[in-house]
Amino acid sequence: MNCDELRDHYDLYALGIAEEPERGEIRVHLNRGCEVCMAQVKRSLGTSAMIGASAPAAEPSSQLRSRILASVGFENRRAGWLPVWLPGWLPIWLPGWGSVAAIAALCVLAVYLGFTGQQYAQTAARLRSEMREQAAQIAGLTEAFAILSGPNTAETSFGGVQPKPPQGKVFLNPARGVLLIASNLPPAPASKIYEMWIIPKGAKPVPAGLFQSQASGRAMHVQPGAVDVASTAAVAVTLENEAGADQPTTQPLIVAAVPPAPR
Amino acid sequence: MLPIILAIYAGPEERALISRLQRRDPKALAELYDSYGRAAYALVLRVVRDRAIAEDLVQETFLRVWNRVHQMDSEKGALGPWLLAIARNRAIDYLRSSAGRERNAIELNETDHAPLYREMEAEILISDQARRVRAAMDRLAPNYRTVMELAYFEGLSQSEMSEKMGQPLGTIKTWVRTALQSLRNELGVAVPS
Repeated sequence: MNCDELRDHYDLYALGIAEEPERGEIRVHLNRGCEVCMAQVKRSLGTSAMIGASAPAAEPSSQLRSRILASVGFENRRAGWLPVWLPGWLPIWLPGWGSVAAIAALCVLAVYLGFTGQQYAQTAARLRSEMREQAAQIAGLTEAFAILSGPNTAETSFGGVQPKPPQGKVFLNPARGVLLIASNLPPAPASKIYEMWIIPKGAKPVPAGLFQSQASGRAMHVQPGAVDVASTAAVAVTLENEAGADQPTTQPLIVAAVPPAPR
Repeated sequence: MLPIILAIYAGPEERALISRLQRRDPKALAELYDSYGRAAYALVLRVVRDRAIAEDLVQETFLRVWNRVHQMDSEKGALGPWLLAIARNRAIDYLRSSAGRERNAIELNETDHAPLYREMEAEILISDQARRVRAAMDRLAPNYRTVMELAYFEGLSQSEMSEKMGQPLGTIKTWVRTALQSLRNELGVAVPS
């Protein structure tokens, strides 16, 4: 199709409601740097943005500003809670160092109030265990956050068109590593575990860590460390024996193709 | 209305703001929010009609801008339209996924690519354009206004509009085309010959 044949479809494209084959044709024109289509789509996007002006004025809560700044690691974090925002998901607030400190303070208070030595030991052991778990959680979330907020992070989705997902996203940061977020992924059966794989172009899959899914079907897994995004074809997940495997032994449950780096 | 207008008008200060965001200046993000937060929120709230979800999506929008601002040309970029496009696309994407409708994430992502927002303000903006758009929307015949709202604020395809409104697809396409033509005429935008 030539540009003239597409002229009735630029507005629809800008609105996100263009249909095939015109949508694909516009995409092709834009990808090859067609100046006519670029100018027309830009104008349509401008018109589209202006239609937003017909939305009634509304005021967000006064906390939103702080949340946004905190979500990229700036301004005051809420005492005791660490906001973790996952694109496409609702934000999750998880215990941070503040609540760890609070738990420690409660521990001291318990002693002061006369817990017996045995009770104290049991409580302290439990709290230490919880603190270790929380510290591990925070470390994982910090890694996840670093990947999500990295300026060079690439993003890809999986499961979007499957009738029975798992669905989710994979984020790859060249310096920080790979983050996988999934939903509708049932907990692995007894003695089994999920294993993530980074699949280089034209090479064998590389193991990228073991993880378990929650009862809710949600899972998050971080494989920290540098990753060559440009030479990565896909990220996949298989179900393996709980010790993991050097190479996949089952068909992948998740395959997220890595998009080519933007030019 | 003013925040929307401000969001669409980009001046030299905004270009400096883009540069600061690209340098990861945290105060720049605060300024970005102060400039565009309300506009983005109003737009997203109109789409999802839930304050808590709207705030989550606005947060997502700003984080996406923060992560992708390096794509923006600091000399020629237009932050406002870009940010609003991302906000709208995030909201539509949420609406579609929560309703179990097929997501158009790929297409929506295409339309929030920063390079498409180069030098946009010079082409589309005059100071009272936003008011004119609203007035133009109000003056549209009810059916035309409905299809524009379904398309822009609910992200419905023409086929989905046909089903929702109980009208033939051809009729919907005619209404959409006529509504867009009317808006162009009202806004004084030249229709390509």
